[in-house]
Amino acid sequence: MVKKKVPDWLNSSLWSSSSTTTTTSFSYSDTNHFDHHSSTSASPPIDPPLPPAATRDEQQHPPRHHHNYHPRKPDIKEDKHSKSSIVNDNISNNNSNNSISNNKIDNRKADNTESSAEDISNQALLLTELSRKVINMGELRRIASQGIPDGVGIRSTVWKLLLGYLPPDRSLWSSELAKKRSQYKRFKEELLMNPSEITRRLEKMMGFDNDDAKSESRYVLSRSKITHGEHPLSLGKSSIWNKFFQDSEIIEQIDRDVKRTHPDMHFFSGDSSFAKSNQEALRNILIVFAKLNPGIRYVQGMNEILAPLFYVFKNDPDEEMEACAEADTFFCFVELLSGFRDHFCQQLDNSVVGIRSTITRLSHLLKEHDEELWRHLEVTTKVNPQFYSFRWITLLLTQEFNFADSIHIWDTLLSDPEGPQETLLRVCCAMLILVRRRLLAGDFTSILKLLQNYPPTNISHLLYVANKLRGQPSH
Amino acid sequence: MDMSRRALLKVIVLGDIGVGKTSLMNQYVYKKFSQQYKSTIGADFVTKELQIDDKLVTLQIWDTAGQERFQSLGSAFYRGADCCVLVYDVNIQKSFETLNNWHEEFVKQAADPADPGAFPFILFGNKIDVDGGSSRVVSEKKAREWCASRGDIPYFETSAKEGYNVHEAFLCVAKMALEGEHEHEQEHEQEHDIYFQGISETVSEVEQRGGCAC
Repeated sequence: MVKKKVPDWLNSSLWSSSSTTTTTSFSYSDTNHFDHHSSTSASPPIDPPLPPAATRDEQQHPPRHHHNYHPRKPDIKEDKHSKSSIVNDNISNNNSNNSISNNKIDNRKADNTESSAEDISNQALLLTELSRKVINMGELRRIASQGIPDGVGIRSTVWKLLLGYLPPDRSLWSSELAKKRSQYKRFKEELLMNPSEITRRLEKMMGFDNDDAKSESRYVLSRSKITHGEHPLSLGKSSIWNKFFQDSEIIEQIDRDVKRTHPDMHFFSGDSSFAKSNQEALRNILIVFAKLNPGIRYVQGMNEILAPLFYVFKNDPDEEMEACAEADTFFCFVELLSGFRDHFCQQLDNSVVGIRSTITRLSHLLKEHDEELWRHLEVTTKVNPQFYSFRWITLLLTQEFNFADSIHIWDTLLSDPEGPQETLLRVCCAMLILVRRRLLAGDFTSILKLLQNYPPTNISHLLYVANKLRGQPSH
Repeated sequence: MDMSRRALLKVIVLGDIGVGKTSLMNQYVYKKFSQQYKSTIGADFVTKELQIDDKLVTLQIWDTAGQERFQSLGSAFYRGADCCVLVYDVNIQKSFETLNNWHEEFVKQAADPADPGAFPFILFGNKIDVDGGSSRVVSEKKAREWCASRGDIPYFETSAKEGYNVHEAFLCVAKMALEGEHEHEQEHEQEHDIYFQGISETVSEVEQRGGCAC
């Protein structure tokens, strides 16, 4: 039956419970500690963000028991209901959370393979790396894959580097950013009609264009430029109106999804002007992307991939970075999606680069590392991997964990020199292995329910297991 | 286990983006409603147990993504379905017009090619609560005509928001799926000459009433 023996480490008691292994730091530092220094010392516009005073102090004595690095969550993690309290989107709100977990730093950590000293120095190492004239990307990837500390804007800078948006040579940053940001500005000017323009056109379309006295330019436009082919009632493909109707359908979809992006987070949702302006930014980016990529346009779920990028960039303590978050997010989104673009393209579903093929690779990976589990899922209970992993893969695990945990997973995904997809598949495979006992005991229904509502998990542990799957099948 | 007293029935819910598929399912299974459900990516899966006569039935309901992009991936989800629920929004004409596509696509991918007309479909016209019905654009008559043209598909008007008719509609789904399952069983046991007798009296009752027997 089972040809390959399950390697011992798979059945280790480590996997079955969400044991407190090394949790890479994920503490949201107190916003009060941010010094907004770099916006004032402008000339090389982006200084790598300095750590807040407390953290800096910490760096001097890294290896002792440290307080700034709270394991994000100790043992059993919160259930999904309490996710808002963790993420709760205003960084400062999370302090209380972390101080609770701080009390529970687990001594077993020392037994584990990763040393806590390594953990502690992560932030210092990242800051050192970021302060080099030319950043060693290999080194940056290596350190960042262990997790990027929250607060102090490190993640924002590191993600931009990992996604190739910022070049490794820091002297090029300012010119590169200026170029990209003005490019995005042009995209917006060309591709986004402002709402009043839309209203005006709609009114005209509905036959309310008699009232033409108010604006002369409007009058000129509406009277002299409309050729026969551009008449609103023309259904020819060339008609700008035809395109306009198509566009408005996409925009409607985008609006609908943007409004329901993380409804539990004040950053994205609610009536505050802050949330509204953030929604507006997501909307602009998705519309510009859809118009620049007519082969893909907008696919539902893109908003979920966009959200973590924008959240991280918008929370950069550097004022200039914060102000330009929309433009920066756009290019990073394009970059990130370029590795996964084919998953969003219906024409490629059955090709070797499409989503089905990627799901098959996950299935092979599981078979290679845990054939017993693979057999139980796909042969015995007939759980097609598409039933659970379609969303895992297309949305880069953003829906399976709380927001803070997803961001932590992304640190590792984005750091991988092979590109995020290989790591993503290993993490998905590790997710299966971590709950293998429950899966092996389950039938079709219980398996699918478990995998479609993946239980709260110690993310560092998950990433540790995923990393163990790297290039070492279990023979 | 006595199989005749237990049944596992697979139900697929299809329809355009935003017509309320997820809301209907959540209203039925959890008695909850939210304005803020995320868009469904792929397909979500829930189960609901109920008793019909002396039989314990587990409905396995698949809530699918509405965006066209996901349709080609549907076949994996459609396979082995016992009933297909089509949903449209009575306030949006287009969601009614695309029912033809959803119906065709499902028949093409999942129904028995020898007898596609036999597969049990049901139609829900959702969101009848909106603006007290004043923004409605698809009349009940139109919907029933469409149902008649597709082989007398049962029709329910629902409001997932208010929980109106949702339970009744899904009960009908369960009964239809169960009927279909009888047919399968008999088909297996007794070959095709018995097949048409397998369509029980309940089904003809349903057809006469233009609704469901429940």
